[in-house]
Amino acid sequence: MALQQLSQTADLLSEASRAKIDMWLKKYPAEQQRSAVIPALHIVQEQNQGWLTTELLDAVADYLALPKIAVYEVANFYSMFELSPVGRHKICVCSSISCMLCDNESIMQHLEKRLGIKMDETTQDGKFTLKRVECLAACRNAPVLQIGHQYHENLTPEKIDAILDGLE
Amino acid sequence: MLKRIQFYLKSFFLWELLQGLCLTGRYLFKRKITVQFPEEKTPSSARFRGLHALRRYPNGEERCIACKLCEAVCPALAITIESEPREDGSRRTTRYDIDLFKCIYCGFCEESCPVDSIVETGEMHYHFENRGENIMTKQKLLAIGDEFEKQIAEARSEDALFR
Amino acid sequence: MVKIEIDGKQVEAEPGSMIIEVADREGVHIPRFCYHRKLSIAANCRMCIVEVEKMGKPVPACATPVTDGMCVFTKSEKARASQKAVMEFLLINHPLDCPICDQGGECELQDVSLGFGQDISRFAEGKRAVKDKNLGPLVATDMTRCIHCTRCVRFGQEIAGVPELGLIGRGENTEIGMYIEHSMASELSGNIIDLCPVGALTSKPFRFAARAWELRAHASIAAHDCVGSNIYLHTRCSEIMRAVPNDNEAINETWISDRDRYSYQGFASDERVTRPLLRKEGKWQDADWQTAFQVTVDSLKKVIAEHGADQVGVILSPNATLEEHYLLQKLARALDCHNIDHRLRETDFSDQASLSQYPSLGMPITKLEKQDMIFLLGANIQHEQPLLGHRVRKASLQGANVTALSVMQHAYNFSLNSQQVVHPTAFVNALAAITKAAYQHANVQVPAHIAAVLETIDVDVTAQQIAEQLKDADKASIILGNTALYHPQAAYVRTLAHALAQQTGASVGTVSDGANSAGACLAGSLPHRGPAGITQNNTGLDTQAMFAAGLKAYVLFNVEPELDCANPGVASEAVAKADFVVAMNPYNAGILAQYGNVILPIVPVSETSGTFINIEGIWQHFAAATVAQGQARPGWKVLRVLGNLLEIEGFNYVSSQEVCDEIREIINTQNFTSADNEHMLVRLETASSETLWRITQWPIYRVDNVVRRAPALQAAASSGGPAAVHFNRHLADKLQLTDGDTAIVKQGDEQIRLKVAVNNAIPNHCALVPGGFSETANLLDSFAELTIVRS
Repeated sequence: MALQQLSQTADLLSEASRAKIDMWLKKYPAEQQRSAVIPALHIVQEQNQGWLTTELLDAVADYLALPKIAVYEVANFYSMFELSPVGRHKICVCSSISCMLCDNESIMQHLEKRLGIKMDETTQDGKFTLKRVECLAACRNAPVLQIGHQYHENLTPEKIDAILDGLE
Repeated sequence: MLKRIQFYLKSFFLWELLQGLCLTGRYLFKRKITVQFPEEKTPSSARFRGLHALRRYPNGEERCIACKLCEAVCPALAITIESEPREDGSRRTTRYDIDLFKCIYCGFCEESCPVDSIVETGEMHYHFENRGENIMTKQKLLAIGDEFEKQIAEARSEDALFR
Repeated sequence: MVKIEIDGKQVEAEPGSMIIEVADREGVHIPRFCYHRKLSIAANCRMCIVEVEKMGKPVPACATPVTDGMCVFTKSEKARASQKAVMEFLLINHPLDCPICDQGGECELQDVSLGFGQDISRFAEGKRAVKDKNLGPLVATDMTRCIHCTRCVRFGQEIAGVPELGLIGRGENTEIGMYIEHSMASELSGNIIDLCPVGALTSKPFRFAARAWELRAHASIAAHDCVGSNIYLHTRCSEIMRAVPNDNEAINETWISDRDRYSYQGFASDERVTRPLLRKEGKWQDADWQTAFQVTVDSLKKVIAEHGADQVGVILSPNATLEEHYLLQKLARALDCHNIDHRLRETDFSDQASLSQYPSLGMPITKLEKQDMIFLLGANIQHEQPLLGHRVRKASLQGANVTALSVMQHAYNFSLNSQQVVHPTAFVNALAAITKAAYQHANVQVPAHIAAVLETIDVDVTAQQIAEQLKDADKASIILGNTALYHPQAAYVRTLAHALAQQTGASVGTVSDGANSAGACLAGSLPHRGPAGITQNNTGLDTQAMFAAGLKAYVLFNVEPELDCANPGVASEAVAKADFVVAMNPYNAGILAQYGNVILPIVPVSETSGTFINIEGIWQHFAAATVAQGQARPGWKVLRVLGNLLEIEGFNYVSSQEVCDEIREIINTQNFTSADNEHMLVRLETASSETLWRITQWPIYRVDNVVRRAPALQAAASSGGPAAVHFNRHLADKLQLTDGDTAIVKQGDEQIRLKVAVNNAIPNHCALVPGGFSETANLLDSFAELTIVRS
């Protein structure tokens, strides 16, 4: 039924987001427009304070002329897409093998203690979200965490304090 | 010649009669094994296959899940089951009949049951007075299960080592 | 062709085909879960792993193409060990609940684990549990059992064309689901039950009702559409427990529609009549067959004696079997009554003399998917005939140009080249424009029989395009759907479509009503033609004329006039006013329960033997799956006795096969003079397309008396119910009505109150009022003016 219904959700996407998605769409052949779904979700997530509502997922599906479930699948699969509200700073701590061997456990414990929240939780003031993620591909300098687009490597508790103090 | 004398002596002293009376006398004073039925009953094995019963879990929930394996395995086609989802969505029987005239007490139903629901109790003293009483309905079977639960549980635990 | 070796056997294979395809063809069994020959290859279950010589690791047979000289070992030690290991992994999260699982006994996982698994599990850790999903009233879920083969997901994308299910989450948290739960909308959704190799997706109406080993399968034919899908009816004792597909590549492949799968619920309806009923002093009373027959015979004789045989109307359902159609027309014609018809919803019969012997697709069903262009003329194809819809979708996916002309926007599950939505009064004109464009394009003289119509028509660009596309397409087909057939100017539609086809080299297919319209026509269940389509000297009245004329007596066979006919208001009135109404019906309900005089209980298709002829002209015989309920009897037996009691010659049949043989004999010996489809059309007076018109569709699960009584189907998302009047936002604003309001809908003197559903698929000046509902049974013509006011 929903297949041919006219998109009523397109106005949820901001002008800027749509322009950016269009730019990505140009990079893929006409019959492979679904390839743009990951960049599109990144763009829309940025537009909405770092997380995606179901309406926004529907809007992306309509915009890319994809079945809704195809977008849900992608958004659910990748850990970088958030489906519930997150803090201003999303602290992604790598939990894969290299970081584990370099004692990321103490890094996580320090973060939890300092922020007063557990992993995968958000501070009450909505400033920080802690998230455990899979390999961030910076094993050489483990342990690693990512805040926004910034990697922080060779972490120690002191270094973390310095990083957190530097954040608004 | 000697045999002949022996024979006459034995006949004269009623030797064989005495021998017989001795045996009679021995049994007269021996410990009796007669069981005073119905006041007394012979002991039976824990594996005895008597009257059927449907068991419950200790919390009162019936065990039977209507898998129908007993119905399928029954060589005499004595079991009839109908099932549907109960209000809580679980799989339950709406009908569980065993025709005791058809049943050959082979115990296959008991063996096939994945939840130890249908069992054969040690009970063997029952009779029917009216036509139709040979059909054991679900209610009757559950009632028997409730009545004999202790005996059933004991029999199962006694036999558990060999299963 | 390449040569490969499978388990030491030399075989030839098409290059590019997969090992598993070749193995299946050669009868070498390889275990599998995710592979299905009708779906794309996923290779995610890894169960079909086999050893191939010179390949380092074992490879999945479903995703490894054959190469020349390949040596495959499906049962080597390495292959067996790998399969065993895969099986162990698959079972890690699968619950051990076979005793309460409906799939138990017919489960691929059970079978394969018995054959290829190990006897004990080494997995001592906790298993995961997954929340069940609600997929609507047809499919039950136990998602903990899911092994993520994704057959259901691929089915939604590739076959149903409605991708609703997906893989949500990743890794250990992967679940099959919809993310936002809703009822499945596809008309083919039930097929995921058959596809699911485990018990994760099972039939909801069948839930916990029986085990696979208790059921007896009876081959049968689905009785709701003209495709004639092959099915198995599964019975336990004498009860029909479920219906499953029976593979037939030429007809239904391996699928069946939900309508065919769940309609069996209607066989056990509370409204079934199992004893003959007679009306005495206004009340129904049980009777024995003899009395009921006697009353029927006497009353019919009386009406004929007093008013003449032309005061009797005989109306049959297009779902009746070939034998029933033949016997009833034979009986009626012997009584000199020629008012016989099975076309319940059609209204324009003016071209009936020029029509072909029986409505047909014009090609084998399998050819439909090979067309380059399909022009859907008033056909909501996937709703009317889900499996033909599937074939059209296949054609569309292979690049065919599918174009539609209809009176409302249909939600097709394939992409259209163009969809033209017009007001019903403009429907013929739109087709005429295309026809004219075709003749103009070819610069050919317009044939005389359509010249009058085309004269006044203006050709627009769209019409030109469609005409050109039809001409250019190598294999093109024009499909006439329900709207085209039920339209008050259906004769124009048919004639113009044939003229268009002739000019452009396309074929014309008619998607007829019911399971056996073709059989009805061949059996002679028509007012103007006898068996084999031989024109009769006396032409009787058609269905609509019979009701409009208000005859003295009606013989209704498997028909519910107020729900099945084009003009339910008039039909009901005729039945109410007639002196004598005999209904041969499996059910006692509605207008017949109110005004009928005799009900002779016949059985539905599951309890009778007979023949259906499908849209391709294939004769399909079927036997009764179970015994007749109560005293109800198969229709052909009832008609046989009735024929004998009326002292008509030649009613001494022993079996339905004998009747069928007689019909075949007639068809083989009599020559049907081929129809020309060249009905002489007069100039068309076009009504204004500015007045509000009614559009009627019979929703997919309201088409006949059996499906209307299947509760699961009535609750399904695509049921089209509950009854409501649909119109677009524009009209809603004008009438100041919104969704859920109640409106008064008037047609002539009749008026009813209906809920409002705002639906922008309806064009301006139109309102969709569905047929087949008792709520709308008082209204009149399917396509006519109506008025709507606020209540």
